[in-house]
Amino acid sequence: MENFEPVIVAYCCHYCAYTAADMAGSKRLSYPPNVKIIRVPCSGKVDMIHILKALEKGADGVYVAGCLEGDCHFNTGNVRASKRVAYIKKMLDEIGIGGERVEMFSMSAGMGERFAQTASEFTEKIRKLGPNPARAAA
Amino acid sequence: MQKQRKSQPSNRVLVVGGGMGGIRAALDLAEAGRDVVLIEKAHAVGGLMAKLDRTFPTNNCDVCTLSPKLSESGRQLPLDIMTMTELDALDGSAGSFNATLKTSPRYIDLDKCTACGECYRKFPECVRFTPGLDPRAPTCMRYPQATPYAFSVDMAACSNVDALVNVCPTGAILREDNQRVEQLQVGSIVLALGAETFNPQALETYGYGTYPNVVTSLEYERILSASGPTLGELVRPSDGGRPKRIAWIQCVGSRGVQEHFVSYCSSACCMYALKEAIVTRERFDKEIEATVFYMDMRTSGKDYELYLQRAKNEYGIRFVRSRPHSIEPVIQDGGLTGELAISYVPHGGSQVLADRFDMVVLTTGFRVTEDMKALAAKIGVELNRHGYAKTDSLSPLATSKPGIYVCGMFESPKDIPETLVQGSAAACGALGHLSPLRVVSEGDEGFPPERDVAGEEPKIGVFVCDCGMSASGVVDLESLAGDVASIPGVAVAKTLKHACSAESLGQIESEIRDKKLNRVVIGGCSPRTHQTVFQDALRRAGLNKYLVEIANLRDQNVWVHSDHPAEALAKGKELLRMAVAAVRVAQPLKDYTLPVSKDVLVVGGGVAGMTASVKLADMGYQVSLVEKSGDLGGVARQVRKTIQGEDVRAFVDALIQRAEQHDKIQILKNAAVVDHSGVAGMFKTGVQVGADKAYREIEHGITILATGAVPNRPAEYLLGSSPAAVTQLDLEAILEDSPDKVKGWKQVVMIQCVGSRVPENPNCSRLCCQAAVKNALRIHALNPDAEIYVLYRDIRTPGFTEDYYREAREEGIVFVPYELADKPRVEANGEKALVTFTDPILTQQMKVSADCLVLSTGLVANRESTDDLGIIFHVPRTSDGYFLEDHVKLRPVDLEVPGVFVAGTAHSPKSIPESITQALAAASRAQTYLSMDTINFGAATATVDKDRCAACLICVRACPFDVPFINAEGYSQIDPTKCRGCGVCAAECPAKAIQLMQYEDDQILAKLDGLFERTA
Repeated sequence: MENFEPVIVAYCCHYCAYTAADMAGSKRLSYPPNVKIIRVPCSGKVDMIHILKALEKGADGVYVAGCLEGDCHFNTGNVRASKRVAYIKKMLDEIGIGGERVEMFSMSAGMGERFAQTASEFTEKIRKLGPNPARAAA
Repeated sequence: MQKQRKSQPSNRVLVVGGGMGGIRAALDLAEAGRDVVLIEKAHAVGGLMAKLDRTFPTNNCDVCTLSPKLSESGRQLPLDIMTMTELDALDGSAGSFNATLKTSPRYIDLDKCTACGECYRKFPECVRFTPGLDPRAPTCMRYPQATPYAFSVDMAACSNVDALVNVCPTGAILREDNQRVEQLQVGSIVLALGAETFNPQALETYGYGTYPNVVTSLEYERILSASGPTLGELVRPSDGGRPKRIAWIQCVGSRGVQEHFVSYCSSACCMYALKEAIVTRERFDKEIEATVFYMDMRTSGKDYELYLQRAKNEYGIRFVRSRPHSIEPVIQDGGLTGELAISYVPHGGSQVLADRFDMVVLTTGFRVTEDMKALAAKIGVELNRHGYAKTDSLSPLATSKPGIYVCGMFESPKDIPETLVQGSAAACGALGHLSPLRVVSEGDEGFPPERDVAGEEPKIGVFVCDCGMSASGVVDLESLAGDVASIPGVAVAKTLKHACSAESLGQIESEIRDKKLNRVVIGGCSPRTHQTVFQDALRRAGLNKYLVEIANLRDQNVWVHSDHPAEALAKGKELLRMAVAAVRVAQPLKDYTLPVSKDVLVVGGGVAGMTASVKLADMGYQVSLVEKSGDLGGVARQVRKTIQGEDVRAFVDALIQRAEQHDKIQILKNAAVVDHSGVAGMFKTGVQVGADKAYREIEHGITILATGAVPNRPAEYLLGSSPAAVTQLDLEAILEDSPDKVKGWKQVVMIQCVGSRVPENPNCSRLCCQAAVKNALRIHALNPDAEIYVLYRDIRTPGFTEDYYREAREEGIVFVPYELADKPRVEANGEKALVTFTDPILTQQMKVSADCLVLSTGLVANRESTDDLGIIFHVPRTSDGYFLEDHVKLRPVDLEVPGVFVAGTAHSPKSIPESITQALAAASRAQTYLSMDTINFGAATATVDKDRCAACLICVRACPFDVPFINAEGYSQIDPTKCRGCGVCAAECPAKAIQLMQYEDDQILAKLDGLFERTA
């Protein structure tokens, strides 16, 4: 447990969080290397399967990062994503994996600082939670 | 190399000068379907920017941002680049010029040269090299992505021509090559000649040329550069040691009337000195002490002030307000230590201080070149008193000769974003002289037919880019490539230098062809910026462009994890494995296209909005101009004169009249944008017009947002409570309408930066210093006896406006600096205002009883408009509420959404000439879209597997754009040209009958497999 390095999958919307991650790079803002980004055209594209499969295959935490409310390139994709994430959290709580392993964040393309901060905070949170029990069982 | 020129001369433009401004102008013109010939005197295009190491505000590598631009110019556009070529003579007039072009012999056959470097290795003396600090760069190509990618031979230096010719493996070296002269018919011309930097050797007190550790800012830039003489190591020229204390001296050769100086401000130097100081501390050593000696820090561009604050607060750079008078070497025990002592009198002090430094960087400004003068004389373009092209501030890029436009340094000294805006704006001017006939763009752009890869086993090529020094410094690229090489299906795994350069792209293409690769992975920078460059390489090699996947190893790995190199290496391997897994299941896809609407929507009827409308209407496009208020003209109606003395009111009235009478412009006043949909080429915008809010829908191909900024009126310094307190805009009216009142004033105080450069509004409003100088001179002209005080923090009069600042001081106007911690204090005193401030020279409190207290309140973003429109048009804003351009340097008028542009003060505070320039630039960028006949929607569309569809209607309800419907056959149908590719339907579909192409579930899941197969 002491040297536990969580693996985090971050589904990032091309129009905001993915750009914010690039911005964090331009500004050389450091965040934990645990976070692996998968680019999606809209946070609304992130299927429940994508989140659950990530946990099943071994992620210790998964988050979806979309645009700020009202800024979605596709009007309401981010709202759908956050509803989906809320639903998954409830389900994970019920089956004992713990809903806090999945989160939804929102940010704009210019928020490199927020991207780095979110990545750091989420990684620390998962580190405290320890390995994903689904992974341990597998 | 020479392309067939296919169109008539009246559709052709000559661009002289291949720096950033010329490249931007040429690209805009070519993308607008015009035939362009770009000539450059040097061996390669790129200009000054290509010599720079990094650019602010992101401090990233210039080569990485510039090179996609250049390979863009290498794409199949009607653009002919002729290097080593000059404009020798010109006759004819606007619409039909006859230009004589002279091309010097290169002694290299460009079609055969592969830039292998053999000739240089064997005969370094004959192959041209970069002058300056770069005495033996590996090639004469000034930087790795030089275009064209070939050498140039100096035959005069060669003693054994036979041996030289024989050394070339491709036979590209020509024994004989002659100067070529070509006649070219063109409709208009853009002059984009670069300036040169001042050589400070003439200033004896600074010892440049005598003391090796005194360098110019451009030399320092080369020392920092990865392709420079020290390969990016920061060393002291005298002994190769790492300097610990570095000083920058600003305004060397600029802003002075003494011998060897020019009187104007070179505009770009404050920012680049800040950049050099920040990069020094950031990249090399936080312990290096950085000191900047300055007179005024002129950081008035968009968000530049924030950069200055970062330099002070985050990077701890020391700022000393002083112009040092000399640099002396430090002598110890009878010998030179290499150290330098700068003696200076700090502002407000009387004692001479001397500080020691290991290195001194002279921040040298810009000078006109002999080339500029010679060319101007040859073609009959008038120059101003500083030797730059003479222009009128209200038609800022037109030279004295109709049909010839100017941009960049030839107009005045300026920075990169302004140069690019002017490049586009000059292109807009040039377009006005061409026949309206447009060349029909070719659909296939000349790519070879695609190879059918169906049924082939995956053969994947992985190319890991070193991204300059940024990537290779942190992780071992060979080990990255070695790791993926072992994955089944990976046929090639190798590293490349600057993968986006012409040479490396060529290598990727030959690997694809030779090894019959059918999938490609690039490990390098962000796919957001470089995807199309690599997609084009695939297309040239006959592969479908969707068979490439980019692993973002730079922006999202080495740049953010440089503090954890071992973890960065592990993550790099994971990112590459994810990309390999995803590309393995990628399928060839087809793009969907539709016809383009050629109509234009302009939001905002100020100077910028009207200028863009009139320009585009003149080119034959139908324009809808939407204005929120009942009047056109915007804030410019409150301005009476420019600093140059031109009558703004007459100009604005004439512009309003032109817009209102133009038969191609429909003006909607009292109108508000309420909804918006569609994509570039086919937008639809809903507008409510008039008191009854009648709804109207406008169909248009592109959008220009020109909603302006609003005059700031903070309740500070008695504004609103004392009759004496007015803003600079209020003063404009008093000066013109009540001159007698002005004649009665005895004392006038102006306070700068009221409500700007403060925590609530951290940015500089850019135009208030010029307004203060202008209005102080006007008061002085009306009432020479009035005592005028200007209390300022930094006087920011860039370029030639510096002349007015000097004139104001010569006329006796008193300029007194104040610190933010010690702001002037004011109290009402009857009709007057009593102003108390600290005089830094006398170091005592001064009290002035002002008949008029003029507050330079500047502009603030029109948040009411930008916030609403930002949401409606889906475009981002800066934290202070201005529209955020897509790329600060390279795309300064394009917004993030394709087909949407920004002009005027909605972008950031700017002067009227600058707003006009940006409006012209937006009109030029707009024409790159409007000249296309079809638009490409890409391939990211949702497709339905009809056998799995249960017609449950979930997708119909989920789609934000109401695209899916249940068709007659009973399954959901999605029109690919209407689908925007968000993938919401695919995520919601309970039967998993819908897949979003390019982001199919199996690709996303494959990435997870790629990631976890190694961590498991």
